[in-house]
Amino acid sequence: MKIRTMITLSTAMAGLAFASSASAAEYRIGITQNNVGVDSYQTTYDQSFKEAVEANDSVEAVVLDAGGDVARQIAQIEDLIQQQVQAIIIWPTNGEAVIPAVRKAKNAGIPVIVTNSNIAEAGFDFVKSFSGPDNITQGSRSAEIMCDKFKEMGIETTAQVVQISGQPGYTTAIERQKGFDDRLPEVCPDVTVLETQPGDWNREKSQKVMEAFLVKYDKIDGVYAGDDNMGVGALNAAKAAGREGIIFVGATNFAVGYEAMEKGEYWGSIYQSPVDDAKAALKTAIDVLDGKEVPFLNYFDTPKITQDNMSNFTKPVF
Amino acid sequence: MAGGFSRSNIGGLLAKQGILIAFVIFMIGFTIANERFLAPENVMGVVRSSAILGVMALGVTFVVISGNLDLSVGSMMSFSTIVVLDLHDKIGPALAIPAMFAMTLCLGAFIGFLVGYLKLNSLIVTLGMLSAIHGLTLTYSGGKNMDIADKDGTWFAVFGQSSALGIPVPILIFGLLAAVLGMVLAKTPFGRKVYAVGGNGVAATFSGIRRARVVFTCYLLSAFCVATAGLIQASRSLGSQNTVGQGLELEVLAAVILGGASLLGGSGTIFKTIVGVLILGFIQNGLLLVGLQFYAQYVVTWVIIILAVWLDIAAKRGRLLSPIA
Repeated sequence: MKIRTMITLSTAMAGLAFASSASAAEYRIGITQNNVGVDSYQTTYDQSFKEAVEANDSVEAVVLDAGGDVARQIAQIEDLIQQQVQAIIIWPTNGEAVIPAVRKAKNAGIPVIVTNSNIAEAGFDFVKSFSGPDNITQGSRSAEIMCDKFKEMGIETTAQVVQISGQPGYTTAIERQKGFDDRLPEVCPDVTVLETQPGDWNREKSQKVMEAFLVKYDKIDGVYAGDDNMGVGALNAAKAAGREGIIFVGATNFAVGYEAMEKGEYWGSIYQSPVDDAKAALKTAIDVLDGKEVPFLNYFDTPKITQDNMSNFTKPVF
Repeated sequence: MAGGFSRSNIGGLLAKQGILIAFVIFMIGFTIANERFLAPENVMGVVRSSAILGVMALGVTFVVISGNLDLSVGSMMSFSTIVVLDLHDKIGPALAIPAMFAMTLCLGAFIGFLVGYLKLNSLIVTLGMLSAIHGLTLTYSGGKNMDIADKDGTWFAVFGQSSALGIPVPILIFGLLAAVLGMVLAKTPFGRKVYAVGGNGVAATFSGIRRARVVFTCYLLSAFCVATAGLIQASRSLGSQNTVGQGLELEVLAAVILGGASLLGGSGTIFKTIVGVLILGFIQNGLLLVGLQFYAQYVVTWVIIILAVWLDIAAKRGRLLSPIA
């Protein structure tokens, strides 16, 4: 009796679901995200993605979250294959471990789009396109922002810089550092990078690192931090030590960085919006399904933001 | 005893304060490497940023002496930091601080109940609470960074950023709390009970000590210290990520053990914990001043800690190698 009721119910529900999906959308896209709720960036990404799907009549989406767990993400990819979605977007929890599941999707004829952070190179053959920020460009743009400011101040021949990088081993951290280290000598060959130490994406750790830099070096003209959270930590250290006139440049403009820029304490950053990130991923997937030619590395633009042009940008929500 | 210096008076002092001697040796070494290491503003800076770890270590010292572990202090500190920052803008700092202390003490009481009254293994309980509290914090904040809106117009910054009598307030709080808890541990009946419970729980019970109550109180003390640390942290940066305390539980435990407390319980003092905290703080700072690459720093930190522990043990037994080895 009970079982029969359940079967009837579930059949009815499945029928309903089928009916609604058949009537509404042209494309069904599945997404498995890395870890929604662990930071504001990912939380905002999740909301924006859902809103973008809502706003577009031709798509509907199965939105999943792996909770940072590789095994769960692999299971979710397999579920999405079973559900026969037309495209899968994946925000990898781990660039290596998801490759077999991605291959499975490709073999099932489902195009895979990677979003935000790319998977390892061994899996590139199974991926249609990567949609995300270009962290090397971000690093070089930060170098340009800093160099331009030094030139404006007339200290481009003497300036000394310290760098606070992200967590060792993170691709984002490595790429931003590489972009900065490569570009700075091209645009400002006489600027010296005194030292680079990791701040682990952590404001307090970055504050400690900066305190040590301030004790060690009497002359620091600029600080490049791998994101604004760390940049603001360094700024706090400089303020506490009463050292003024230092040019702070970060990346991933956070609300705190934006506020410090408004106050004139922080010079510039790179504007990376989770809203743009989410929209770009969805657009890439739709373009693929429309049969358009999509570049393999489909970067969305992350522009420079400084005190001079910040009025063109809305304050980040995270 | 076959060893050399343990017989003389100097030997006696060495045996008692091996860790202190290790500390002095490292300080001299770092000063030779960079003469600014002992500059007053650097020393003040290190002690100030060690204060957060230090305050947490005070509470954990009680827990460890009572024969238990507390691995939840890192995520509990994230919790209290996020909560006080969030409530600051909602109900004002005067109410936010007691509210945050109350919530953090509830967590401490819960752990104390599980370990003390239900006699569950403290490693399992607090390791579980490590992730459970992290989840709680994320649920509370929705994953968003917390920031105080009006950073210039609040007196809340006093706990982390201002100075009194030329000494930064975090150091004063750390010093005051250390003095009070040091007295409690060394001079009060409760302090003796903590040692008794950790040293020999069964004997303590037969002496009429209520073990559960002592353990429960230790966890409450630990939670109180964590809340204080969260207050300093929140006040220092007036904004925070959800993961601000992540990994601190191991640093705290390392400081306490480095100070000479036994993981098995029954031994340790507040003074030695402070030395342990300062050693860790000065190593971190000293290596930055020397300018080693960070991957080398990880290894060198380990080497220094091992050397410190070895010196401590060698001084206690009066010889470098173990007599049974």
